[in-house]
Amino acid sequence: MLKQKHPLGKLIFFIALELFVIFCVVWYFDPFYQYHAPLGDKKAVLYDRDNQVVGTVRNFSYDSVLMGSSVAENFDSSYLDERYGCLTIKVIKASGSLADLLYYLDMAHEKQELKNVFWCLDMFALEASPKPTIPEGVSPPAYLRTETLLDDIPYLYNKEILLEKIPLQFTYASLDKNTGGNAYNWAEEKEFGASKAKQVYFKPEKAKSPQDFTEAKENLEKNLALLAQEIAANPDTAYRFILPPYSLLWWDAAYVNGELDKNFYLLEQTLPALLTFDNVEVYYFQSEKDIVCDLDNYMDMIHYSPEINQYMFEQLGRETYRVTKENCAEKIAEMKMLAKEITDSYIYEYYD
Amino acid sequence: MLFNSVVYITIFQPVVIGGFYLLQRLKNPLWAKFFLFGMSLIFYGYYNVSYVGILIASLLLNYGCSMFLNKTDCRKRRRLISAIGILGNVGLLFYFKYFNFFIENCNFLLHTHISIEKIALPLGISFFTFQQISYLVERCRKNAAHRPFVDYACFITFFPQLIAGPIVMYDEWLPQLDDWRERKKTADDFYRGAALFILGLSKKVLFADSLAVLVNQGFSHISGLDAPSAWVAAIFYMMELYFDFSGYCDMARGIGRMMGFSLPINFRSPLMAVSVRDFWRRWHITLSRFLTQYIYIPLGGNRKGLYRQCLNILIVFLVSGFWHGANWTFVLWGLFHGVVMAGETLFSRLKISDAAAVKETAFLKVRRLFTVFFLVLSFSIFRSDSLSDAALLWKKMFAGGNNGMLLRLCDTLRFPENYVLTGIAERYFPQYVNVLLLFYMLFLMGCGIFLIRGMTAEQWIEKKGHRTLGVFLLATLFVWCFISLSQVSVFLYFNF
Repeated sequence: MLKQKHPLGKLIFFIALELFVIFCVVWYFDPFYQYHAPLGDKKAVLYDRDNQVVGTVRNFSYDSVLMGSSVAENFDSSYLDERYGCLTIKVIKASGSLADLLYYLDMAHEKQELKNVFWCLDMFALEASPKPTIPEGVSPPAYLRTETLLDDIPYLYNKEILLEKIPLQFTYASLDKNTGGNAYNWAEEKEFGASKAKQVYFKPEKAKSPQDFTEAKENLEKNLALLAQEIAANPDTAYRFILPPYSLLWWDAAYVNGELDKNFYLLEQTLPALLTFDNVEVYYFQSEKDIVCDLDNYMDMIHYSPEINQYMFEQLGRETYRVTKENCAEKIAEMKMLAKEITDSYIYEYYD
Repeated sequence: MLFNSVVYITIFQPVVIGGFYLLQRLKNPLWAKFFLFGMSLIFYGYYNVSYVGILIASLLLNYGCSMFLNKTDCRKRRRLISAIGILGNVGLLFYFKYFNFFIENCNFLLHTHISIEKIALPLGISFFTFQQISYLVERCRKNAAHRPFVDYACFITFFPQLIAGPIVMYDEWLPQLDDWRERKKTADDFYRGAALFILGLSKKVLFADSLAVLVNQGFSHISGLDAPSAWVAAIFYMMELYFDFSGYCDMARGIGRMMGFSLPINFRSPLMAVSVRDFWRRWHITLSRFLTQYIYIPLGGNRKGLYRQCLNILIVFLVSGFWHGANWTFVLWGLFHGVVMAGETLFSRLKISDAAAVKETAFLKVRRLFTVFFLVLSFSIFRSDSLSDAALLWKKMFAGGNNGMLLRLCDTLRFPENYVLTGIAERYFPQYVNVLLLFYMLFLMGCGIFLIRGMTAEQWIEKKGHRTLGVFLLATLFVWCFISLSQVSVFLYFNF
């Protein structure tokens, strides 16, 4: 039949055929889970937080979310599933502001009622802009955020998807990497230890005087209002906030940059605000000296090893790290004391 | 707008070709002409609407001059009007392209501290300015007729050639616009246009853009290069420039053909040239033609003796260097070519006018090799950001030693096409990944040389483009390009 056709007709036919085949391949394997959760008994492979979170929030089956920035990526969410009898997905935004994480959380609420929200709450998220960056940003790209097929050409017809992401999906699935509770886990390729962590921090000789943080105050106020709105609107959802332990390098950097007052202000405002809700539990790990002051737990100023993630999970529901209305002031005072000890002495175990 | 973009391929091209064909069916050709002009302006202003204002101002200036020329037969007045028009064009070009450069050099020479805001260079200003100068000169000489504004606007702004050429002469294109009823509109002609567009797109997207990754890395880290990596960066740049520019011209010609217009050939296997003179007869042919007709011949050409001819050649190449950009690297590049061309003219025994006309001999092959050697050296100046960078690159090329930089440079060649292979190597033979990428670099170079030495795009379409396998190959190339467009790059010649 083709022999009879004019080359123009053949050209159009071949192009249409090849485009259709590519469409089918990308739709079927769908590495960013834009159209469906893994088909059949294929495992979900999640290794690209910027591009896969939207698809998982929209198309996966779950009733709980584990949220946070890169420090939350090494949590094994299957532990939560076993312990709380739920089905958890990770919702990660690198250096994510509170507003960006709430943007994803709104998407999840649109899909269903959530039983649990496990939120690894970063200090920098509290003072970030209360305006989400995702709707106007480049990550994730707009064609992944919208639900229409019309703007999906960059996804459906993209050689990186076809020749990199789909083979990668196969490889990771066969190696059981970034599957199940280990979604987005990056620890395997990283080296943890004092020498590695010290490479990112060059301690200045002189400390700055305390810096003005008017903008941080304003942002915090708006962020807390957003958070309160979210929690109040979902009284049946249990929120568990985890304040993760940053290394002593982070605390020393805050001191030399004149930001300690700001950090304590953030804590003093946030913790009581969260504790006003009955469906909220708060766990505070930042004052755990054995973790914070041992740089072997870290690869830089804030990123700790997966063992710390697991330790924090195991402490959920226990009293040791839980912050209540009664012990809130005490916890903050402990942290202030530790910060002083860090800047006065512990930091000099690593720096001259 | 870029030819190599999803929006162009999926929306603009079907709309403009379909709309133009439909409107041509109307009795009044004006609708089709207005549509073509309007679409060309949308194409031009897609990324920056303010450029459209500059283009229209330039059109009005030149069309106004043409109108005044139409009202007088007095030779002096005609010359005065043309001179004003040409000065206006050159002034516009000077302001947008050279003013920053001029101020920088004034500051350097006069130790002043004049500071002005960086003036953005409108796309393709050098091309449409030259095209309009050519029209004005021919109007002055009474070789070209005054036309309705829409005809003139269509001629200058015809989108396939607006931004990066070829530089079309009025008598090549305007008669085709007149013959709108007779223009070929057969399926075969459309197919040949589409095939040419696909081959041009492939040259740009699959080759030039792949080579560019290594070139950009090399030229932005010249101080770290050694001799092998410096040579590879320079050779790759020569190939990148060729595939980029000739790919654009093939696409322009292909689009023109799909719409029933024929645009002049701009490349004829230039890297097969056997001398610099031969190279300039094959590379950017329409620019060489413009410079010959409007600078070289008016200066006296070869009619005033050998030495004057050499001087004229030097002047033409200096202008060519400046035309390519506001940087001393372009001037030096032009001068370099001019000196060698003048040398070839002086030692005329070495002059071989056209390689195709001469029997292939070992001597010819050696000449071809020397010409490519010269081109790689000269175009490395062209690509460098400054004269000091160019000097450093040459130093690295000839005395850079070997510090293993070549393997690191090859590491930039990780593309989706070799992802699985490098991934397997990384897992099972990590020590050989660099070697694999080195072979990939050699493979790219080999493919480039094969294509440079092989048939031109049009020859290939004529010989193989109508067979089923050829059509399948074209379809596959198109789809391969289409799925590669997620990382869109600009054409190098947009900047000139």
